[in-house]
Amino acid sequence: MPFFVGLLLFVVIVGWLDARLPWPRPRASAVRP
Amino acid sequence: MIAGHFGLAAAVKAREPQVPLWALMLATQGLDVVFVPLYLAHAERLVPVAGTGGGYGNAVIHADYTHSLVGAVALAALFALPALWRWGRRTALVLGAVVFSHWVLDLVVHRHDMPLLPGAPAGFPSVGFELWRQPVAAAIAELALVLWGTYSYWRAAVATTRTREPARLPRAYIAAAALLVSGLVTLGLDLLGT
Repeated sequence: MPFFVGLLLFVVIVGWLDARLPWPRPRASAVRP
Repeated sequence: MIAGHFGLAAAVKAREPQVPLWALMLATQGLDVVFVPLYLAHAERLVPVAGTGGGYGNAVIHADYTHSLVGAVALAALFALPALWRWGRRTALVLGAVVFSHWVLDLVVHRHDMPLLPGAPAGFPSVGFELWRQPVAAAIAELALVLWGTYSYWRAAVATTRTREPARLPRAYIAAAALLVSGLVTLGLDLLGT
């Protein structure tokens, strides 16, 4: 059970909160000058 | 080990801020995510250590495919591929390394149940440094990873948000607090053997 609770908390909830912060975006490999 | 892996992923986020945290969190548990269906299919299994109820650290884990050295490398590459397509080479390398970090951290705590080759063929050793034989030490190590990851994440999140969008600073504190609570809850549940 702690494994699934951990996934829910970290991937879904903390991940959602983190996605609302102004981090730099990863550069897609398709983007070229 | 569960919470410790998440702690490491949070610390990686502080160093590689362009990698989405959810992807790091998923990557750090990648081996266990694949373990679940194999466990349900009886291809991999958990065996409680004799004389115990199989609680925290008291299991021999026959994850002979997902937690073999070669299997971990293969899963790391598999996980990195979509990231390479979607986010580019550096992010893919980081995510692949985080997937493999699961094997390295598990190596420290597992009993001698981590094979080098998938399927644990006879004649090849299985490894593990067995910190789980000292559950208090293992729990302290996991807690240290959670605290280190949270502190690293908190510093990076606050610094980045303050520089780019100071109005969102409360969100940085909330995310860091949620990270800490999540780590403590996950570790607590694991220690309780729920």
